[in-house]
Amino acid sequence: MAIDQKSGTELTQRRKLAAGPLSKGDKWFFRATAISANFAFVLVALIVVFLFVNAWPTLSAQGISFIFGDIWNPDAKHPVMQLGPMLWGSILVGFSGVLLATPMAISAAYLIVYLLPKPAARVATTIIDLLAALPSVVIGLWGIAVFSPVAISWAKISNQLLGWIPIFHVKDPNSAFADSPFIAGWIVAVMIVPIITSVTREIFSQMDDGLINGAVALGGSRFSVFRKVILPTSSSGIIGGILLGLGRALGETVAILYVLQLSFKINFFSVLESRGGAVASWILARFGEASNSEFHGLMAAGLVIFLVTLAVNMVASFIVNRAQPWRKN
Amino acid sequence: MNRKPWAQSSATFKVQLALVSTIPVAIGALFVILGGFDFSIGLIGVFLPIQVIVVGVFGWLKAKKRGLGDALLIFFTTFFSTLVLVLLLSVLGSVIFEGFKALSPHFIYENNRYVGTTTSLEYGGVGHAILGTILIVLLTTVAAVPLGIAMAVYLTQSQSKMRGVVRTVTQSLAGLPSVVAGLFILAVMQFTHLERSGLTGALALFPLMLPTVARVAEESLRLVPADLRMAALALGAPNYKAFFQVILPAAKSGIVTALLLGLARIVGETAPLILTTNMNNTTNLNPFSGPMASLPTYVYNFLGSSYSSSQQRAWGAALVLLIFVGILFGTARILGRKKSLKTSKKAK
Repeated sequence: MAIDQKSGTELTQRRKLAAGPLSKGDKWFFRATAISANFAFVLVALIVVFLFVNAWPTLSAQGISFIFGDIWNPDAKHPVMQLGPMLWGSILVGFSGVLLATPMAISAAYLIVYLLPKPAARVATTIIDLLAALPSVVIGLWGIAVFSPVAISWAKISNQLLGWIPIFHVKDPNSAFADSPFIAGWIVAVMIVPIITSVTREIFSQMDDGLINGAVALGGSRFSVFRKVILPTSSSGIIGGILLGLGRALGETVAILYVLQLSFKINFFSVLESRGGAVASWILARFGEASNSEFHGLMAAGLVIFLVTLAVNMVASFIVNRAQPWRKN
Repeated sequence: MNRKPWAQSSATFKVQLALVSTIPVAIGALFVILGGFDFSIGLIGVFLPIQVIVVGVFGWLKAKKRGLGDALLIFFTTFFSTLVLVLLLSVLGSVIFEGFKALSPHFIYENNRYVGTTTSLEYGGVGHAILGTILIVLLTTVAAVPLGIAMAVYLTQSQSKMRGVVRTVTQSLAGLPSVVAGLFILAVMQFTHLERSGLTGALALFPLMLPTVARVAEESLRLVPADLRMAALALGAPNYKAFFQVILPAAKSGIVTALLLGLARIVGETAPLILTTNMNNTTNLNPFSGPMASLPTYVYNFLGSSYSSSQQRAWGAALVLLIFVGILFGTARILGRKKSLKTSKKAK
């Protein structure tokens, strides 16, 4: 019991403030959450360090040509491993996937937010999310058995109609049109449509209604409102969503492995030719029979694709977060 | 933009609309069925141009240039969305149709001992792979869920300035290529001399599950009204008690949703498991040693062989995998629906 010095009377004991910012339990609570949050950085750092250490033998031997060269000969006396065609193939497949997926995703988002009545919109949202939950091995299985034959006939039609454009040109007139970047692009598109759709849908549905109503009041038609109001105000968010999809497409492994002929004869942009590349699929394809030197080469390939997707995803989440200010606390 | 299109559509307009949307389909179907055209040619060469012209003319007649733009906008968004729907239904339909042929009671519980690539479907099954998948995924969950929730707590409850950076890094981890996760654990195994087992597979899935759990848990924690937390703090509760006794119970269903969506994310991951586990044809219940089968690697292995019975096994396992995903996803949906109903009622 504390005693007041002047008067000598007893003071009632001070009530202890339980929820002070320095309360011991809270200190530990926030420390624990901060440690787990910082684990995200630790994880990224660990991945980079471990891959880099294992990739170093190849990276130091090949230098910059690891990224630009086009020879893969790991078991020679002086192993040469250069990833160029696979890296370019990943980019080609990724971009074809994004080109195919974007119109579908924006359409689906527009339909869900602006055209469908509420209950139907909810069902459509569920369907899109379900598409996102499909495992890639299942998509790959479907791709090789069901979708490929259909896509081959689409490829034939585009070749006959548009063969004079270099992109759709095929050297061999009797080409089978199978296992091409075109088909891989479609498969990737199926996997990234839900990603782009969910970002776009959220941005559409949070859009300021006053803008749209104002445009309608000024005599805007459905099309002009879409073209001049909705798209410009949401474009940065949509681009963020597209980049998220691109990041996913660049890292796609199993599904592409089934539907693409991996080749080190580089295929720049002839999307209908039966050869292409994808770094992640190449790693998986070679892994089973890899010698020690090739093991390091594959690690280096993994490091390259990790850094590329990490950069794309960082930019994407930065843009998406900026475009969704209502998500900040 | 017409904000209430149903309010003014007269009966004649409805009939016209129905005609406009059915006639091109009918013409396309006629060409395919009677004309013997290939389906894709019928779709791209006959149906699409006719539909675009018909819709365009209809819109033009209704409201000149404005009508043309609106009609084409509605047609193309509907067309592309239908394409997405058809693709999804095609995936689901083919897996269910083909997988059902392989499915039988013993396919679910038997393992693949004595089964080769040509063994008929009367023998063997995916029992060992189901158990393997469950064990591996459980191990991952035990590590990833508490950590993911702690991250979500950091992102919603603390006042740190690092939150934005943490959120961006976590989100970009969500895009980690699955094969890189496998390579990472392989590199770790080089240093620690871990053997390939269920445990290494679970470790490889961990970086894939963590960001999903963190993101969904963060969103569900954010849905809890801030007043609840403030009231608890005002009553003198320390932050950790406010979290465990007030916020966590309020966000319970959201946290379970985070768990389920995290599970759905990793249950079908193939590449990391191929890199870090060995295939096994017999049942192995010890995730810390020995080869361990799992559903995705089972599909991958049997699809590699060209024999029809192996292909059937792959389809069957894919169907089982899809059922797993469906159950997880469906439960998460139902819980999520309940949660949003509750919060919306509260808001009113």
